[in-house]
Amino acid sequence: MARERKISFPMVANYNSVVKYFVEHGLNAAFIMPPKLTRRTVEIGAKNSPDYVCAPFKTLLGNMVDALEAGADTLVMTMGLCRLGYYAELQEQILKDLGYDFEMINLAAYSTGKNRDYFKAVRRLNPRVSLGRLALTFAECLKMVEHIDEIEEEYYRNCGFERHPGQYKKVYDRFLLNMELARNVRDIEAGYLKAKREFQAILLDKPEQPLRVGVIGEYFTVMDEFSNLYLEQKLADMGVEVHRWMNLTHRNIHYQGQKNLGVQISEYCRYEMGPTSTANIWCAKNYAVHGFDGIIHLKSAGCTPEIDIMPVLQNISRDYKIPVLYLTYDSQTSDTGLMTRVEAFYDMISMRKQVVQI
Amino acid sequence: MKEKGNTAAVTARTPVIGLPRALLYEREAVMWKAFFSSLGMRGIISAPTNREMLRLGAEAAIDEVCLSTKIYLGHVRSLFGKCDLILVPRVSNYGLHRNMCTKFESLYDLVCNVFRNTGQRFLAYNVDVLGGISEEKAFVDLGMALGFGRKDAVRAFRRAGRAAAEDWHKKISREERLYRTDQIKVLVAGHSYLTEDAYIGRPLFQYLEEMGVVPIRADRVDRKEALRQSVRVSPTIKWEMSRELLGSIQMHKSKVDGLILMSAFPCGPDSMVNEMIIRKFPDIPILNIVMDNQDGTAGLETRLESFTDILKLKRGEL
Repeated sequence: MARERKISFPMVANYNSVVKYFVEHGLNAAFIMPPKLTRRTVEIGAKNSPDYVCAPFKTLLGNMVDALEAGADTLVMTMGLCRLGYYAELQEQILKDLGYDFEMINLAAYSTGKNRDYFKAVRRLNPRVSLGRLALTFAECLKMVEHIDEIEEEYYRNCGFERHPGQYKKVYDRFLLNMELARNVRDIEAGYLKAKREFQAILLDKPEQPLRVGVIGEYFTVMDEFSNLYLEQKLADMGVEVHRWMNLTHRNIHYQGQKNLGVQISEYCRYEMGPTSTANIWCAKNYAVHGFDGIIHLKSAGCTPEIDIMPVLQNISRDYKIPVLYLTYDSQTSDTGLMTRVEAFYDMISMRKQVVQI
Repeated sequence: MKEKGNTAAVTARTPVIGLPRALLYEREAVMWKAFFSSLGMRGIISAPTNREMLRLGAEAAIDEVCLSTKIYLGHVRSLFGKCDLILVPRVSNYGLHRNMCTKFESLYDLVCNVFRNTGQRFLAYNVDVLGGISEEKAFVDLGMALGFGRKDAVRAFRRAGRAAAEDWHKKISREERLYRTDQIKVLVAGHSYLTEDAYIGRPLFQYLEEMGVVPIRADRVDRKEALRQSVRVSPTIKWEMSRELLGSIQMHKSKVDGLILMSAFPCGPDSMVNEMIIRKFPDIPILNIVMDNQDGTAGLETRLESFTDILKLKRGEL
């Protein structure tokens, strides 16, 4: 090989250790871990983006600049079913206009309706890649995603109730570090089991019926804690059991399919309303049916599919008498306004619960 | 709320179909009218957009939806009580890389949920070529749901298709003639539901004409050729209507003096495609206008005037 590529992929939630594992073991190339998202990332992104494009575009653009400055020479960007599908091309154009020199592997250019065409993109990253190894690594990566999602779910459900504050966070952070450092499938399994065991050992002061809030919303903003200003952590710290269905495991790896979810919400919609709309509506209804105390719907400003399901959520809220808080995120960096609204929501649902229980 | 398979539409009297004069209306009107009239059905079209309609729509809508959706809801609202069924199409895509904005995917369910308790009934047809539902199948299903036989529906669809193609051909040749005038020519690239809207887009055309500029609609173009041209400029662009506009700009850029990009706030596809256009065509003067539901047109007039001045200056006429 002429030179080794330095590949980077913009930061999305906690999944970059998975991408790292895939690139290093499956593609046999170097991975540049993009720096963690910061206020500067958002500022650079917002400065160079069109005005009213959705916030993830700006954040990811800023993160690409970060990655290029960290030494990457090849960026990989995903395709998508909404505006996300056009991200890569416009971001490449903007970055090249800014003067950066790099190669963009735009998966949208390989979307031809046949999945095997994505293999061409892989071939471009490393022409001598071994198919067997690639498949094996891919399977290991799926396992890793499942583990990350499972641990994360358990973390947000319980960390608000620990007897000695900070124990959950410690285990969780160590688990994420283990995933990032994993060199083989044994490391992944060991890290996962260790975290599971340690979670079990933590003492909880959990009431019999804790406040339960379901978080739904736009794919990126709902999963990426930096972009939603650590909403789930804030809720958990108030003593709420936080549930979030939306993650790669549920939406991508084990997705039940449009038909199977759609049929369960047929009284609200007849067609698929957008890429994650069916899932979010189903999820909201599911939380309502299971007697959750509230739902928080979050999205980035201008996210068309999520705005379009808001009338449906309003109807669910009316039918099941469940409070819904709608949050819109732009590239803002201060969380005082968010905190005020979340606190008010918390006060409302906790008072409501007391009344209902009496 | 939902009507299983639309069978409820079959009544003793022929139902009257309401067509909201917004969003896909401009694009599909000839098709719809010909289809329903060859089935022997009656229809009613909402009045051109006015301020009151926009107010009604904005009231019914979530604050954050785009201006065009607010207008659409206003039109739907204005048809209440005047017809039995209101046609709200659901169009997901016309094939690979020929998607519609997700707004058109969700429109039917959006309208049904917004107007859930009004008792108004809605009629949908669903185009999703990637999902195996072609335009023909969508219309035939619609005809059959209204109680007609398959043969009648197929015949109505074919007749409507011919009428639409003929009408489109006429519109294109009228637009093509405009490129040959000696006056200052400006290509206006905006979705047809904006440029043809009586309250939003038409005033812009009027101002331009008053200032001696010939506005040319970019979307009136040989669609096949425009789609082909668009991928030369931007290989992964995926929205049908944005591709037509982009291809049209590529085809006509040397024949016009300037380009006006007209979009509704906050249009999803336009927020990105317009940025791409500005970056890809540095040689042509571009004015980017974003419309919102505000009254007062002084700001718009000022911008159009100064843009026209620039164009005149470039031609040495000022």
